[in-house]
Amino acid sequence: MTRRLSHPRGLSLIGLPAAALVIVPVAAVVWRTPWSNFWSAVSNDASRTALVLSLRTSVVATLLALIFGTPLAWFLANSNLRGRSLVRALIILPMVLPPVVGGVALLFAFGRRGLMGGLLNDWFGIRLAFTETATVMAQFFVAAPFFVVVMEAAFEQVDQRVVGAARTFGAGPWRTFLTVTIPLVGPSLIAATVLTWARALGEFGATITFAGNTPGRTQTVPLAVYSALESGDDSALALSMLMVIVSVAVLVALRGRWMGALRRGGE
Amino acid sequence: MSLEMRCRFVREAFSIEVDLSIASRGVLGVAGENGSGKTTTLDMIAGLLPCTSGSIIIDDEAVDDESTGRFVQPEHRGVATVFQGGGLLPHLSVERNLIFGRGRTLRASSRFDDIVEAFDLRALLAREPRDLSGGQRQRASLARAFLSPSRVLLLDEPTTFLDADSREVVRRLMKEWFAVYEGVVVLVSHDADEVDALADRSVRVRVSRGTTTAAVLSHA
Repeated sequence: MTRRLSHPRGLSLIGLPAAALVIVPVAAVVWRTPWSNFWSAVSNDASRTALVLSLRTSVVATLLALIFGTPLAWFLANSNLRGRSLVRALIILPMVLPPVVGGVALLFAFGRRGLMGGLLNDWFGIRLAFTETATVMAQFFVAAPFFVVVMEAAFEQVDQRVVGAARTFGAGPWRTFLTVTIPLVGPSLIAATVLTWARALGEFGATITFAGNTPGRTQTVPLAVYSALESGDDSALALSMLMVIVSVAVLVALRGRWMGALRRGGE
Repeated sequence: MSLEMRCRFVREAFSIEVDLSIASRGVLGVAGENGSGKTTTLDMIAGLLPCTSGSIIIDDEAVDDESTGRFVQPEHRGVATVFQGGGLLPHLSVERNLIFGRGRTLRASSRFDDIVEAFDLRALLAREPRDLSGGQRQRASLARAFLSPSRVLLLDEPTTFLDADSREVVRRLMKEWFAVYEGVVVLVSHDADEVDALADRSVRVRVSRGTTTAAVLSHA
């Protein structure tokens, strides 16, 4: 007899296939990566162009999520407005929507014959679809909801007694927001930013639909992987491996208190 | 120094009616059980909640008046607070908490040094609130309130979570500083003994339960 509280026997064994299904493919990428020419595969012209474009667009999309998503999340956490839950549901929608459908939606909104795209084209001669801007918009559409959801939870956790105390001791509403509320959600802000960036970096479906797959203009790393795989190019594996490395780096960066901030949604 | 409050607060099923007037400096104690609206009352005086109807007048200045639509923001009311649990800013050191909202001129003043000494905070200035005991936190919170140039001082359960020794220290400090404070002190506690020990005058919150909760405070 082992002297400890009994658990449902065998329950954890049923979880093994799930773990295997996630672990085996990643292991396969590591195993099949052509390590001998890994560097040349990720640094050839095509790969480098895709990497630079991916980095640039994902950083811009993340910054936009940070700048516009923070106030939106604050509003959702603090407003008593009746339509609040509807707004929240609409913002969360891209998280559950197939990204390709998001791309279709963007196309019909901002495409040349789209709801707003038509006006932009007729009035200003601006065409968004199939440009680098479209790549950023697709990434924003898919990734920003993660930012807003994490930050709304973080703002909700902020102790309103502390915010109130700051007001009574002479800080106005803006000063209180910037010097009290924002530092209090700091760990979540970092976690949400990293998560959003990772999601933007990996965007595929909405990008290929709304921005296309033009090397040097809209072909980000995931699209380059897809194209390379189609043409039997070695760089597909090498670039995939690079994305695995980046993802692991993200997890390492998010570990500890930042990951805790994600789970708890705040301080 | 005076505080006059005649106001009603309603939110869903919760409603309180407060009627109190203090014509001179001194300590008004408000005793009453939890959930009777004591904290809500302090929030209305501080300006964190508007009265649903009625008015609050501090030193002949209406800071909240539903009939005229006047509402002075908390940072302009001249109210200092010691909230339940201290209400210290958790991301700032004790020192930054003490000077919060007033900056370096205060840091260099002799008043700052006096209060730091009196509340025995010298060794704690660099620490963050999470590294303080309950009693230390409450001392820092009181010091911050006394450093603030206020007309009204609001204290919410200032010794509730303290052990017996810390409670004695904090009570003694409050007594000393209430004696020299120029404004009106409103001290709220569920503990009638605390109110009796510290307040010059006191009122009890009466709670009647029906379709709404009504707490009536009155003091002539």
